[in-house]
Amino acid sequence: MLHKDVLIRLCQARDMLRETGDGALSVRHVAEEIGMSLYHFIHLFKAVFGETPKQCQLKARLEEAKVLFMTTETSVTDICMEVGFSSLGTFSYVFARRVGVAPSAYRAAARSMVQVPGEIPKKLIPGCLSLMSGSPG
Amino acid sequence: MRIKLNSIFVDDQDKARRFYTEVLGFKVSKDIPVGEFKWLTVVSPEGPDDLELVLEPNANPAAKAFQESVLEQGIPITGFEVDDIQAEYRRLKDQGVVFTMNPTQTGPVTVAVFADTCGNLIQLYQAGG
Repeated sequence: MLHKDVLIRLCQARDMLRETGDGALSVRHVAEEIGMSLYHFIHLFKAVFGETPKQCQLKARLEEAKVLFMTTETSVTDICMEVGFSSLGTFSYVFARRVGVAPSAYRAAARSMVQVPGEIPKKLIPGCLSLMSGSPG
Repeated sequence: MRIKLNSIFVDDQDKARRFYTEVLGFKVSKDIPVGEFKWLTVVSPEGPDDLELVLEPNANPAAKAFQESVLEQGIPITGFEVDDIQAEYRRLKDQGVVFTMNPTQTGPVTVAVFADTCGNLIQLYQAGG
């Protein structure tokens, strides 16, 4: 059985994994921070959150990149670095594989939906019942 | 007027679809793609005409904040009724589901709590005899 304090530590770990930029930590470092062995941490994290710490971190970085593509004019290279990738090639490859389109294509499509500069379009912040009819927001 | 829908937030609808069908054993009722998201609902094979559970994306920052705070406090987001809680507990545990509370008698009911891998705790309960 997972004790409450362990659940809290796993939640804290998830917050740490989602940090991008200067605050970003490696999976090993996060395990140390919450006082678990790396193996135990990865195993437990996957069982509770349905994904490995690495997958969680990657997802958070891509989500952050998507927001920056929509809301800023920052270049793809700078966004790639800002969200914690060291290689533009890796970033573009991973982004295209996970999101389904290349970063530049995502930006072009997302920007066409932005009505208020700097704001995420309502379409991408769903209110659930609005999805029922097949039209978001 | 009837109560037919209830929703819980999930951090990833594909992951949720897998867990709620393959692990818990519910059936998908609706899966309608809407842009990046889906109108995704499941029903129980034991009561397909009962309530439909909407697996709602937590992409709204307000939803995310709510879901994460409740999880960190160890509070289940909803509960499912079972006939034999010990059997369900063993069945789910065998599939790697993590429980934060093993089956425990509390007054007239026995309850257990597990993590749904989508950012929620779910309570199972068996009504007492």
